[in-house]
Amino acid sequence: MLKVEDLTVRADAVELVREVSFEIAPGERVGLIGESGSGKSLTALSLMGLLPEGVTAAGRATLDGRDLVGVPEGRLKRLRGRDLSMVFQEPMTALNPLMRIGAQVAEVMTLHGRGRQEARARALDLLERVRLPEPAHIARAYPHQLSGGQRQRVMLAIALANEPELLICDEPTTALDVTVQKQMLDLIAEVAPALLFITHDLAVVASVCERVLVMYGGRVVESGPIREVFTRPRHRYTEGLLAASKLTPRGTRLPTIKGSVPAAGHFPGGCVFRNRCPHATPECETAPALTGDGHAHACWHPAD
Amino acid sequence: MTLYLVKRLAVLLASIAVAGVVVFAFMALLPGDPAEIALGVNATPDAVAQLRRQFGTDRPAVVQFFDWFGGLVQGDFGTSYVTSSPVGPQISDRLGVTAVLVLGGMVVALVIAVPLGTFAAVHHRNPLGAVISAVSQAGIAVPAFLAGILLVFVFAVQAQALPSGGYVPFAESPGEWLRSLLLPWLSLGLVQGAVLTRYVRSAVLDVMREDYLRTARAKGRGSTGALWRHGLPNAAIPVVTVLGLQLATLLVGAVVVERVFVIPGLGDLLLNGVAGRDLLLVQGVVMVLVAAVLLINFVVDVTYHLLDPRLR
Repeated sequence: MLKVEDLTVRADAVELVREVSFEIAPGERVGLIGESGSGKSLTALSLMGLLPEGVTAAGRATLDGRDLVGVPEGRLKRLRGRDLSMVFQEPMTALNPLMRIGAQVAEVMTLHGRGRQEARARALDLLERVRLPEPAHIARAYPHQLSGGQRQRVMLAIALANEPELLICDEPTTALDVTVQKQMLDLIAEVAPALLFITHDLAVVASVCERVLVMYGGRVVESGPIREVFTRPRHRYTEGLLAASKLTPRGTRLPTIKGSVPAAGHFPGGCVFRNRCPHATPECETAPALTGDGHAHACWHPAD
Repeated sequence: MTLYLVKRLAVLLASIAVAGVVVFAFMALLPGDPAEIALGVNATPDAVAQLRRQFGTDRPAVVQFFDWFGGLVQGDFGTSYVTSSPVGPQISDRLGVTAVLVLGGMVVALVIAVPLGTFAAVHHRNPLGAVISAVSQAGIAVPAFLAGILLVFVFAVQAQALPSGGYVPFAESPGEWLRSLLLPWLSLGLVQGAVLTRYVRSAVLDVMREDYLRTARAKGRGSTGALWRHGLPNAAIPVVTVLGLQLATLLVGAVVVERVFVIPGLGDLLLNGVAGRDLLLVQGVVMVLVAAVLLINFVVDVTYHLLDPRLR
């Protein structure tokens, strides 16, 4: 359904995302994990055609055969909010402070051809569907009268309004209290048609997704079913990431990945992880390809 | 909202009362006795005392104040010591002219600033946006009276298209009325428009970075549609503040522009009053101007509450 081939994102001469390819089947829930600066948000924004000014995407991405990259804005905006939609990280600022919630939910429907009356009525159903109490009351409220968790549910209602084929969530629970994170994740997993879920949190990805893509330095370094990737990581970066997130016995040092993530444009040539990798050899100066069916990795010296 | 309105109205009335005290006190502190001025240097003390009694200026200041302010509340501005004619009708005749002048200037400023400022914000990365910024910067540096003189030179002297001054009442000839006001409106509005353009630009630039604009685009709005529906209403909030401040400056600017274009407005009346030492007239005009500024602030505050639900 969603097919991404060799997606590359650039800001001027700096490559921020390089040759990312993946697919999402109907109904499939795919996680995209990586540290900040790994290019996961840019990947999502380029699918929506919402890259910031001065940042451009190249390559090919299609949703049911319709192109998403390199398409004029006029054609793309008819897909946005209807066939694919997105929930952003920061719920506190994502809604227009001057508009009532009901109107903001209805807007996404009237924009895509639904009648005003019908959109208003359906907005209430949607607010109920994302489990907001007293939908009629919420619909009349302004964003500042709602909590962060409630606002994120409103964003989810907006995203689901036109029954899109694909829902993209960019760290939707990062800004929320831990107590409401779980409810939000369960809700997303329940209502999402097909899902691209972006996070840096391994536990979150494990609870929501079936398949995972691990990004580092703007590339997908490993991909596969959650269970396999998390129990038998092949790429050395994934291995380090998992080790760093495990609970260690009291008194032992926390395992870390040595060094820190380089700034954009300062990743080494060849394998992007080689300057931090304990297994790097001269061979790693040549970029490894993402190989393997199902569980794939881009590493010359994979763990086994 | 109703409670807020009541509270704000009480503040407005209290401010007008305080303003009345201040205006009256300043006038009372000015040297010069109206009776002495009216009778000249050769008057006998008896004649002066008699005229004082007639004017009522022999009474204590507090009594005079309440007499004057009590009259104001009923629309009576007193009778001029100099011309012996009531002050109120003179002011109300002129107030309409100045109001039309100021509001017209504001409309010109808005018509210039909203589209240009928005355009400059949207195109802030390319040369055209920078040109608008530079031109508005130059416009700010020009005082209204200079703009007026330049406009007269171009449109009245060179092109002979519009009158260089004078005022034709609307009732006499609507067409001539419009022609007589065009240049004054432009000279007030161009400069204010230049100032406002910069505020609109920065307000729009700020909202363009807001997340809710991205949300609007994610819903399927084009970037222009998102800016129009979600950006501009939010940008209006800071612009309304500046607009209120500018209306006050425009009132002051009108005093000068009325002189340049020979328009019988409040400013003209005020300057005449000062020249003729007509204390009560000056006092009345200043009071009306102060009240107008307070009223504008009141309207701005109420507009805020209408625009922004977070304040309700």
